[in-house]
Amino acid sequence: MSSRVDMRWKQDFPIPSQEDSYVTRREFTKFLGLTSLAFFLGTFTAAARKLWKRAAGTPAAVPVAHVDEIPVGAYKLFRYPTENDPCILLRLEQEQFAAFSQNCTHLACPVHFNAATRQLVCPCHKGFFSAQNGRPLSGPPRRGLAAVAISIRRNQVWVELSHEERA
Amino acid sequence: MSPRVRLRYRISVVLHMVMAFVIMILLAQLWLFTVTLEAMETGEASTNVVIAALVCSLVACAAVWALIRLFLQAEEQQ
Repeated sequence: MSSRVDMRWKQDFPIPSQEDSYVTRREFTKFLGLTSLAFFLGTFTAAARKLWKRAAGTPAAVPVAHVDEIPVGAYKLFRYPTENDPCILLRLEQEQFAAFSQNCTHLACPVHFNAATRQLVCPCHKGFFSAQNGRPLSGPPRRGLAAVAISIRRNQVWVELSHEERA
Repeated sequence: MSPRVRLRYRISVVLHMVMAFVIMILLAQLWLFTVTLEAMETGEASTNVVIAALVCSLVACAAVWALIRLFLQAEEQQ
């Protein structure tokens, strides 16, 4: 009795159970098409954010420190252009200042200034950057720190986005 | 080999070529996505590069869907 029921069931559904999990060609092509669409939407989102940032305009230059406030070999932390963008201002020589984004280009840990070696150090994964130009020296980071343009006006250090950041 | 089997074999070869082409397009789209992402994060790439990447990605997406359509039509005819 039972085997006769089995036979009828197999006639109605003549697909072996192990073939249930097979992906058909149609399903696979659909997956490829949706993957392509996902890549396009990702590209669109990234491009839109970039263009939106550009359309928002360049933030105005702001004073972040008095020249006498930072001795040679010292640094000051500030946030620019928004409260979510930590930056570091360095005084390398009497007349030489430099400012960079404090986010490491590896995994965005905050970098610290080592005055003895004149390097910016990321303590998370031992990334080292030049304090002169922000270029990566060793460790996991491959890209340099984003530079912030500096000007001295009326004995104050003013910062604004560099040309690279504005583009 | 009967003519029908030969035809099926030929179509199968063409379909494999189409699939390889689609996968190449997808890899190119992935690269375009990384270029745009890099531009968004660092601001090093110019706006023209970003727009070009976006247009190329759209064209690639349309090409993938067109190829898939051809692929499925060929399969139905087979």
